[in-house]
Order: sequence, then structure tokens, then C-alpha cells
Amino acid sequence: MAQAGQPDPAAAIEMAKQEMDYRVNLFNAMVSSCYEKCIDKRYKDGELSVGENSCIDRCSSKYWQVTGIVGQMLGAQGGMQ
Amino acid sequence: MDPNLAAMQNLPGDQQQQLMQAIEQMQVRDSLRMYNSLVERCFRDCVSEFRSKDLNAGEEKCVQSCATKFMKHSARVGIRFGELSSEAESQMQAMMQQQQAGK
Repeated sequence: MAQAGQPDPAAAIEMAKQEMDYRVNLFNAMVSSCYEKCIDKRYKDGELSVGENSCIDRCSSKYWQVTGIVGQMLGAQGGMQ
Repeated sequence: MDPNLAAMQNLPGDQQQQLMQAIEQMQVRDSLRMYNSLVERCFRDCVSEFRSKDLNAGEEKCVQSCATKFMKHSARVGIRFGELSSEAESQMQAMMQQQQAGK
């Protein structure tokens, strides 16, 4: 097992995996939410319009900020475990 | 450099490999999941009548546009996600450096 003062390697890998899982889920949720909010579903062609592009940029930014705020609130309540 | 990649390179060799394999598995799983959800999305948005067992020309074009649009959308979000990620990371580092300096 871990020696005194040394980080447990198994725990480090597990943490890295969880961090990656979190990021992947966050990304997928961002893609999905911004798609619903920004994309015209009439599918006249396969191109994104200028409006859609701007919407995507702003949506991503706002989504990220929401993530930050919620994270802060959860953190203030005693940390995410 | 992606902070996760940087942290990864601090791990010993066999653990790096383990992590690389885990990442690869996650990517495969994620691709399959995306594939299925995209099919479901485009079917839901494009197909609504069943007078025939074959897609008509309009439905086919719709599905193609739907898939193309989603991939482009996903790519763009990916770029923004990366930017927001690194920005947040450098802000964190700046904050930590300030805290260190304050001691």
C-alpha cells in the first residue's frame, strides 16, 4: 500500500478517471443543452448559420458559468465527495 | 498543454499505460453512445410518417443535414470547452500563486 508521505497510486488513478468522467459528462451535457437551445431543427442544410454559431459560443460560456456557480454552492455546503 | 495530460505524465510508466487504456475505453464507449444518441435525435426530428417502409428523399436529406449539423455543433462546443477549460485553469493557477505570494 502507500508509504508514509507518498500518494497512493491506485487512488491517484481512480481520481484521474473520475475527473475525466466528470469532464466528459460535462462536455456531453453542454453539447446537448446548447443544441436544444441554439440549433434550428428544420435542417434546411448541413451548415451552421452565423446566428447559430454565436449562440453556441455564448451558450457554452454561460453553461460554464452556471457550472462554476453551482460548484461554488456545493462546495460551500461542505465539499463534493 | 491540457492540465490533465501534464498531471498524467507525472505518473510512473505502467500507471500511465493503465490510464491511457482507460481513456481509450472511455472514448470508444463515448463514441458509441454519441452514435446512438445522434441516430435517435435525427430520427425523432426528421421522421414522422410511415406510409412507406423506405425513407423518402426529404427525410433522407433531413437526416444528412441533421447529422452534419450536430457534428459541426459538437466540434464548435469542443473548441469553446477547451478555451473555457484552459482559461479556468490559468485563473486557478494565478489565484494559487497569489495566495503563495501572500504568505
